[in-house]
Amino acid sequence: MKISRFKSGTATLGAALMCATVLAGPVTADEAALGPVVGPEVNEAKAALGKRLFFDPRISADAAISCASCHQPEYGFGDNLQLTLAYPGTKGFRNSPTLINTALAANWMHDGRIGTNLNDVTREMITETYIMNMDMRLMQERFKQDPVYVEMFEAAGYGEPSNGAVRKAIPEYLATLISKNAPFDTGSMSEAATRGQALFEGKAGCVSCHSGPRLTDDMAYNTGVPNNPEIWSDPMRHMTYVAFAQFMGVSNYMNVRRDVGAQIIRNPVDRSDVGKFNTPTLRELKYTAPYMHNGMIATLPEVVAFYNDGGGEDPNKDERIKPLGLSADEQADLVAFLEALSGDPLTGPEYVWTDEIPTSYPAIENWRDVTN
Amino acid sequence: MKPIKNTFLLMAGAAALAMSTGMVAAQDMSAFPPLAQLGEPPVPDDNPMTDAKVELGKILFWDPRLGGDASTGCVTCHEPDQGWGFNTPLSRGYPGTVHWRNSQTVINTAYLGQLFWHGSARSLEKQAPAAAKGAIAGAGENDVMEARLAFIPEYVERFRDVFGTEWPLIGDAWAAIAAFERTLIVNDTPIDKYLGGDESALTEEQLAGMELFNGKAGCIQCHNGALATDEKYYNIGVPPALEWEEDGLSQITFRYRQVTNGVTQEMYRKVKDDAGLYYSSKEKEHMGLFRTAPLRYLAYTAPYMHNGAFWDLREVVEFYNAGGFENEFTDGTMASNKSELMKPLNLTEDEIDQLVAFLEGFSGDELKIEPPTLPPYEAFASE
Repeated sequence: MKISRFKSGTATLGAALMCATVLAGPVTADEAALGPVVGPEVNEAKAALGKRLFFDPRISADAAISCASCHQPEYGFGDNLQLTLAYPGTKGFRNSPTLINTALAANWMHDGRIGTNLNDVTREMITETYIMNMDMRLMQERFKQDPVYVEMFEAAGYGEPSNGAVRKAIPEYLATLISKNAPFDTGSMSEAATRGQALFEGKAGCVSCHSGPRLTDDMAYNTGVPNNPEIWSDPMRHMTYVAFAQFMGVSNYMNVRRDVGAQIIRNPVDRSDVGKFNTPTLRELKYTAPYMHNGMIATLPEVVAFYNDGGGEDPNKDERIKPLGLSADEQADLVAFLEALSGDPLTGPEYVWTDEIPTSYPAIENWRDVTN
Repeated sequence: MKPIKNTFLLMAGAAALAMSTGMVAAQDMSAFPPLAQLGEPPVPDDNPMTDAKVELGKILFWDPRLGGDASTGCVTCHEPDQGWGFNTPLSRGYPGTVHWRNSQTVINTAYLGQLFWHGSARSLEKQAPAAAKGAIAGAGENDVMEARLAFIPEYVERFRDVFGTEWPLIGDAWAAIAAFERTLIVNDTPIDKYLGGDESALTEEQLAGMELFNGKAGCIQCHNGALATDEKYYNIGVPPALEWEEDGLSQITFRYRQVTNGVTQEMYRKVKDDAGLYYSSKEKEHMGLFRTAPLRYLAYTAPYMHNGAFWDLREVVEFYNAGGFENEFTDGTMASNKSELMKPLNLTEDEIDQLVAFLEGFSGDELKIEPPTLPPYEAFASE
């Protein structure tokens, strides 16, 4: 069963649940078709501001980490770790997802718990205790103290620095992170990759979830990805998960030993959503190993082998996850296709803030005589 | 006038009214509660003291995991070898920040009814979380701090023994810390000994200072009773912190605290000094008022005043001898709230020395303590 996503910000949860079958109705052929990713229109001044904010560690409470700490350009705006580092004094319990094409997603986080927009995602990442731990009122005053920001917020049309504008500017920057020159998009796929695409859309059945230009339906399923034991053996990670699970209302959270995934959204009493995670995008996989919500699979051939074996073990496993009977050559072709979904690295100055970001703040001169 | 919400505000108002009639003549000084020996501290009924609770509170006081990034515990700004405070004018803050007020000593806070410089917490149990959670102090959040405790087996056991819970609760952590703080008592100072009948406990110079304290200098009008504070609120004209003019990080914190204290947009734009009690009451006549500081343990807690404006006790006494200075809440810029009690004292140099010597008599021996060993995290036993 699919988990519905609600795009209406005003509907109550109950009303939204009642409409779920309508909203989650069959995906149309146009939406599901594979093809190039087309990014939204971007305002350059706003995106430039968002870019600096993205790389600025002063956006976190102790000024130790920036968005780019866990979303590094060279790793496709993910990191190369199984599980994220998270805020100092805590440790993450999930894999850092790529942010490339995230501007076009329908919902965010591996469990899909944020279903509104990147403005809300930005707020959540900045303020969550185990992510950036920032009091945005303090953040706003920090940025008012930086002459470069004062100029950039003004140039972007936001007036003086404000936390509301931060939440707009970062999404504007994220809208610039769009796949570029993937062989799949430029029509330059190898023969193996072309054969792989046929398997992807046919025998292997990948396209039943990995559909549309981003190769995801933004729905959550249980494919039986194995537990990551480090979440429970490293007290720092387990502790962070406990804080998360308690806040999300997970029942019996002290005794949970497996990430419940999308269960937190609807909390069905039969726990049938436990272990469901969002279908990830398949773009830029070349840069974003290891794979899955908990980084448990290291390479693409291993991912394909995992599906060829019919996924992992889980009582809630989606019934469509069955052994695929692919030959070694077919598996190699599928991997070739997956690799053809990665484009140029987005590591140039167009995407990365390269000027030095100061670690101290100049005093405002004539402080007594100017308005705050 | 808005209805007065709190008893303490009523008291502050009444005090201001009483004081506004003019300088109290020397012969009236006996109207104030005399200095007295410190007895045993009061203990609230809902947080009784036990040895096990105090021991737990002591460990927690030192534990930086009761903070945002596990770098900043109570002890970070209340260091035993800095008078259980912090010896810069404005306290250090959470990493990436600086605080906006001077860190006060923890010693003898057990006796206080109002904590923080403008009295925003009414008990040690309420003071501890306010400090641990504020963005410029501990920057901790309940969920993560409580979850951390569950992964420290020694804490799980100690909380179970003391509070009877299966897992540590963050509210109980503050109760234990408060219980520990109630043991940080220094009540055998030269002044206590003198008041207890040991006439040799104070020098001739100090005795002369005491007479000034209780008479010509008029200190006793506010610094009275066993703690040498009436716990009321006054604007004595402490000048604004220089850091706010000179240091970018301090300017950030200053504005941030205006926002979090809920001032109007107009005031946020205009204000350049710490408005003190105003943040609690939003009454203009409370701008720049701070709680009378206790004078005990003074020798170890420099610099002095809510923003650390004065580096030594002589500067403090000279400040009072001048009748206090000015700030924007005394000079009419924002308000004209200077206490009527603040008048030039006409003390001679010798008299200033005598007063300083007497003030030092409030301190006694430094309270040292063996820091605890912090218990480690451990993974839950695998099942």
